[in-house]
Amino acid sequence: MHMVGILTTLAWRNLWRNHRRTLIMLAAVILGTWAMIFMTALMRGMVTQMIQDGISALPGHIQVHHPEYRDDPSVANLISISDTELAAKFEAADIAHWATRVRVPAVITSEYESRGITLLGVDPDRERGLTFVDYDEVEGRFLESTEDTGIVIGKKLAKMLNTRVGKRVVVMSQDPDNEIADRGFRVVGLFTANVSAFEEAFIFAGKSTTQKLLRIDDQVSELIVFGDDYRNVEALYDKVSAIVDSRVEVRRWFEVDAYLGAMLTIMDGFVFVWIIVIFLALSFGLVNTLVMAVFERVREIGLMLALGMKPVYILGQIIIESMMLLVIGLVLGTALSWAAIQPIKDGIDISIVGEGLDMWGMSSVLYPDLLLRDVILANVVVLVLGFFASLAPAWRAAHYEPVAALTKV
Amino acid sequence: MMIRILLLVVATTAVAHAQEPDAAAIVRDAVNHWRGVSSISVMTMVIHRPGWERSMTMRAWTKGDEKSLLVVIEPKKDRGNRMLTDNNNMWSFSPKINRVIKVPSSMMGQSWMGSDFSNNDVARADEIVDVYDHTIISVDESDGVTVYEIESIPHEDAPVVWGREVLRIRADHVVLLHSFYDQDGELIKQLQSLEIGEMGGRMVALRQRMGKVATLDEWTELQLLSVEYSVDLHDSLFTLSNLRNPRD
Repeated sequence: MHMVGILTTLAWRNLWRNHRRTLIMLAAVILGTWAMIFMTALMRGMVTQMIQDGISALPGHIQVHHPEYRDDPSVANLISISDTELAAKFEAADIAHWATRVRVPAVITSEYESRGITLLGVDPDRERGLTFVDYDEVEGRFLESTEDTGIVIGKKLAKMLNTRVGKRVVVMSQDPDNEIADRGFRVVGLFTANVSAFEEAFIFAGKSTTQKLLRIDDQVSELIVFGDDYRNVEALYDKVSAIVDSRVEVRRWFEVDAYLGAMLTIMDGFVFVWIIVIFLALSFGLVNTLVMAVFERVREIGLMLALGMKPVYILGQIIIESMMLLVIGLVLGTALSWAAIQPIKDGIDISIVGEGLDMWGMSSVLYPDLLLRDVILANVVVLVLGFFASLAPAWRAAHYEPVAALTKV
Repeated sequence: MMIRILLLVVATTAVAHAQEPDAAAIVRDAVNHWRGVSSISVMTMVIHRPGWERSMTMRAWTKGDEKSLLVVIEPKKDRGNRMLTDNNNMWSFSPKINRVIKVPSSMMGQSWMGSDFSNNDVARADEIVDVYDHTIISVDESDGVTVYEIESIPHEDAPVVWGREVLRIRADHVVLLHSFYDQDGELIKQLQSLEIGEMGGRMVALRQRMGKVATLDEWTELQLLSVEYSVDLHDSLFTLSNLRNPRD
């Protein structure tokens, strides 16, 4: 124990013997740590945003469909779920955020243009906060009830169709017998979405109006349920499965949109690879610094060995030296990245490149997402790999022949 | 003498008053007149564009409000292409690929065989009667025949994109002009009858031209070559199997 104290003192003093070299190495470690943590937070933020936008675009955390809906998301595969019955059961299960929707492919036509879109028949009261549409930001108004005969379309779509609030458009789809189902709707509102692709892809109509149009009585395409955290939906999944009957298919969001689900897994792997890559760059500097430190002190090490210090203490001293350097670097680097994230916590506007980002369904404001897990990962990786990297120079120092080392010029 | 003239004037105004023409009825009569209970006709369609022009001759059978069958006979490369409409649905058959294809609802608003008519214009022409409010906006005379100018405004929930349509219909049920206005009152496209004459025992538009107002050098003309009304057509003519395997 006494020995460890001496070694630590020796290591610490050795570290500051050539303080310029140590400071340079320290700067490298700090920058490396910062790059690992800060960049990871940005990438995490991107993915979180993508997933949240994705979830609000479609599914909610849990989705309930007709078993065949996945293969054929058309009006032919509907489920009969009564909102009133559900309301009681969900209340009992303590689930607050859910909605049923009619969701069918349709065509919207103005005097000048027609476009393929997805028609969502929604209950505007239930849907509040569950979709990507902010009701208060809608130009005009959002739907007022399920019987509303108006329609709310995206701003971009309105531009394409050359229509506006107050004009009529025709929406055309199919009923379950493959007969054309169409009617005119008056545009009552134009919504904006974070992801501008949604503005072209979705239109909202009252649920009852849509059901009447499609001649499907009170059937719906899907039931969506929201929990608190998209990363943890198992408990919610079990609750919902218990409530709905067995003829429907209950799925978690990452099963509905495998791309989004895969993003999360890929991201975890990517963060790890990113940290390793940065560490590799860092380790060359680290090993070089230690090799130099050892090389400078060959005669000194030789003397210590000659005086009877065990080689294992020499090894320990070099490793403690390297660990000290890394720990200081990691602490400062982590603090620096935390400080760097503070001013941009509320999002960075990246709309300059926003048009390209839209293509992958990303929004143009980036919120960094600092996860404790990533911070720990970065620190542990640097310490563990740093330990192994410093083994080589330490090993070399410990195995000098005392006489040869002493007489080395 | 004076009294007789006076009586005549009174009588005609009385008659005119008694038969205050109903706009919806005029439109309905015009649609029925043009189609008849059933008909067999041959027509040529000319599609004109600034750079090119092509024509196509077709034979058409219609029955009632909803059924029609159309076969292309000229030009040779399109011969045998057939098209069936029934109850607002449309199917096409091409002998080259030997397949019946249902025209999906998403394509009903698109061009019909490359012309200026949309599939909807062809498949659902009779809809104009039911889903609009018709009012007579003026009555005048042309070539010695009374012409009613009727404004048709689609119902709120009608599957019609136009703000209003204006029809000029002669008292003998021939439609002279059908104009389509957008919801800002701008004239977008027009169907004009360029030639009117008697054929198949009725006064009909022999040559009609459809074109957008914005592009006057792009139009489609339909020339009626022969027509026969009130022929006995069996329902089996208007079936998918007959579309695929014509028995004529």
